[in-house]
Amino acid sequence: MIPTLVAEGLVKRFGAVAAVQQVSVSVASGEVVGLLGPNGAGKTTTLRMLAGILTPDEGRVRIGGTDIREHPLEAKRRLGFLSGDTQLYQRLSTVEVLRYFGRLYSVAAAKLEARITQLVDELEMRDFSGRPCSTLSTGQKQRANIARAFLHEPDLLILDEPTAALDVVSGQFIVESIRRQRAAGRAVLFSTHIMSEAEYLCDRIVLLHEGRIIDEGTLEELLGRSGSRNLTDAFLRQIGREAATSGMAAAS
Amino acid sequence: MRVHLVRTIVVKELTETLRDRRTLLMMVVLPVLLYPMIIMGFGKLQESTREATEGRQSRVAVWGSAPAGLQDALTDDSKLQVEVWASAPRDVKDGLERGTLTRPPLPTKADTDGAGAAGGPGRSGGPGGGAAESASPVLDAARAAIVDRRLDAVLVIWPDVTSAVAEGRAGRVSIYFDSVRQDSAEAQRRVFDRVTEFRQSLVRERQRQRGLDEGFAVGLDLRSTNVAPESRRTGQLLGLILPFMLVTMSLLGGFYPAIDLTAGEKERGTMQTLLCAPLRSIEIITGKFLAVWIVSLIAALANVLSLGATMMRILPGGQVSVAPSTFALTFVMLLPVTFFITAVFLALAAFAKDFKDGQNFLTPVYMLLALPAGVTMLPGIELNGWTAFVPVVNIALLIKALLISEATADLVFLVLTSSAAYALLALLLAARVFEREQVLLGGRESVRSLLGFERNSGVGPSPTFALTAFAVVLVLTFYGSLLLQRAGTVTMLLVTEYGFFLLPTLLLMVAFGFPVKATLSLRRPPVLGLLAAVLIGCSAWAFVGGVLIRLLPPPDSLVKALEKVLLLDGQPTSLWVVWLLIAVTPALCEEFFFRGVVLSGLRKLGMVPAILVCALLFGLAHSSIYRLIPTMFIGGLLTWLVWRSGSIWCGIVGHALNNGVAATLVFNKGLGDFFGASTQAFLGWPLTLAGTVVLGVGVLMLMKVKPARG
Repeated sequence: MIPTLVAEGLVKRFGAVAAVQQVSVSVASGEVVGLLGPNGAGKTTTLRMLAGILTPDEGRVRIGGTDIREHPLEAKRRLGFLSGDTQLYQRLSTVEVLRYFGRLYSVAAAKLEARITQLVDELEMRDFSGRPCSTLSTGQKQRANIARAFLHEPDLLILDEPTAALDVVSGQFIVESIRRQRAAGRAVLFSTHIMSEAEYLCDRIVLLHEGRIIDEGTLEELLGRSGSRNLTDAFLRQIGREAATSGMAAAS
Repeated sequence: MRVHLVRTIVVKELTETLRDRRTLLMMVVLPVLLYPMIIMGFGKLQESTREATEGRQSRVAVWGSAPAGLQDALTDDSKLQVEVWASAPRDVKDGLERGTLTRPPLPTKADTDGAGAAGGPGRSGGPGGGAAESASPVLDAARAAIVDRRLDAVLVIWPDVTSAVAEGRAGRVSIYFDSVRQDSAEAQRRVFDRVTEFRQSLVRERQRQRGLDEGFAVGLDLRSTNVAPESRRTGQLLGLILPFMLVTMSLLGGFYPAIDLTAGEKERGTMQTLLCAPLRSIEIITGKFLAVWIVSLIAALANVLSLGATMMRILPGGQVSVAPSTFALTFVMLLPVTFFITAVFLALAAFAKDFKDGQNFLTPVYMLLALPAGVTMLPGIELNGWTAFVPVVNIALLIKALLISEATADLVFLVLTSSAAYALLALLLAARVFEREQVLLGGRESVRSLLGFERNSGVGPSPTFALTAFAVVLVLTFYGSLLLQRAGTVTMLLVTEYGFFLLPTLLLMVAFGFPVKATLSLRRPPVLGLLAAVLIGCSAWAFVGGVLIRLLPPPDSLVKALEKVLLLDGQPTSLWVVWLLIAVTPALCEEFFFRGVVLSGLRKLGMVPAILVCALLFGLAHSSIYRLIPTMFIGGLLTWLVWRSGSIWCGIVGHALNNGVAATLVFNKGLGDFFGASTQAFLGWPLTLAGTVVLGVGVLMLMKVKPARG
């Protein structure tokens, strides 16, 4: 079966800086893949290229078999994107935001209202769904954002640090929501700095450092290769090893 | 572009914008309150100050011995508190009584010319006047008393006045006052009126004593009558300030929304959710643009209504004699200017990384664009061929011209054409900015790359490039031809055609590395295409002269001006020179530009839009509303010729024949008379019919031409 997301040989340069170098990643339906890396590793740039916000200098991205560069509208209709720093329209209510994006994604009017009601219930937003977004707490905003990303029932979810800046309770709520999406057969690619989340959620993990993939596999495979007991150790060792290798290469 | 998605974006942006108190304040509340507050508030203040001044008595000193009649006239005026010799220093009083102090002369000839004129208002030059006078003890003393506010004015009766009046000579009196102080100016007016009345009664008495007629000393009873109708006078008053206020306030309405919808979205992180939605960038920018434009228009409407209502309230009689249709037209004029500046605002605000940055970006741009609208307040600057092409200023001057009923159809056309061209360029820039991911995500990009002007050898021009090139050439041609007006028709023709059409075409080809053959359609013409070009070129003028110009008949002045050009200013010359200059030169230069560079860029739009747009641009380039339809028609035919045949030569042949035949009929009077082309306003129906048939055959022939590829 063709994976929902297939990205091959992605390269992105900003002037002289190569932010992403030859990154290839795939996510199958019903699979959660975690993208891990230190700050500046190229996670956000990679996710933005996969979401069609940035155009890669090289490489290609296909969502459900559709090339995002050749058929951007069709490909984008199949994906839901969420970033940890994404805000909502301050002067609209959650329901108005959902209705707006539903129309932009061409969700049929009758279906849209039913879907909004369903998400408001599922994500426990009834108490605040009619209030302007400017009055919502950080956790409430992120639930509204999650609802926006899930609204059009996309095949692929791309989530860039969705639990950043959230407290434990709100973070756990989002994590459970992601698990439900996996159970519903959606492909999920998400980046995080919280190792426990990755251990708990991810079927596979991709380690990114200085724009390149330095390791990839299931949690067990990563732990086995690095000889570590948990993901944090494995992550640190891989990055340390990579830094040493880079240093030796530079010295020679 | 999917209209329902654009509408969704517009509705959302408007909903959010109208919930922003700051925008509402700028858009509606400010204009509704501003005009009544400024105009009526200041009016009330001025009125109450004037009432207070008029109610107060003026303290006036009379220094000297006034003739009996004058003294009575002054003391009888209840508004004057007359005190003889009040505040007069001893030396001044002595000098005036003994006759040692006399009135000093005025320093310049111009000032002294008016002195002693029997029918004139006297030396002071009338109420509120006051000529400079050489220093003297009297002047110093009067100034001290008035400045210290001991007195409001001093009336000096110079020595010998009583005897001069009695003997039929002119007695000398002076009023000293401070024009800056309201009470003093009012005192001067009151004293001046009493003295004038006394003088007039004196003149009448002298005429009576000498048995002279009533008008003897008057000489001429002069009356000036203002022929400007009430609407023009009100229009002049409104035209000074209204265009400036309307333009600046309308633009202010769109200022905050433009920043909020671009830099504001970036700052809030909502821009990327929009960018990953299944939307084209043109749909996003169009939605945002329309929302900001609508807000600007609401602001413009609120301003027009509020200002109109305020004027109605304050003008004499409580009525504005400016027709409501003028206010409606004024609002219509704000459409292109708000369109243009909204697009500029959006394009520039998109570069800002947050709201504050956006304000820093747009404030100087706003000042730069809005302040020139203040030219309406300057005397002598009016709408003409030069100012019609200056963005924003042209609209402000057009609003003023509308108010004083001086807007001609051609100038309105020029202003709207140039404004539409600027607005189009600004919108293209805004659309371009919204296609640049780097800019939208906070990065930087080179201006050259942003404008799509990067050299890209082997690739033809884009539609954006074609429109930009047209707008630049249009402005160049217009100002160039104005500069060359005095140089004579031949020079103007040659410089315009070679300098402003052919040279830019060649420069663009070299600078951007466009493929020459494909861009300029330099292909061997098919025989059938060439024949079609000959038939169309020989007959299109007949259809134009017999049918199209009936739709909007040109004024005589335009017909004469065109004939002058066709006859090369009437210089003695031969027909082949006329053909070379009027037919071949424009055909070559204009075809390479319009059917070369411009059409090549427009090709991507598809056949019908490309032909229509190219025809419209060709028509607009002829800078006259009366020539728009005929030149669009010819332009459309020539574009179709080149499109169908794939060869620029068909366009050149058609263009040259069309111009050449028309010029020949004007040049050769006998031939023109024979065809009835030079004696009637419109071409006769027989010739029109014959021409139309030939044109029809040409068109049918063209349809048989196998379409060219690419």
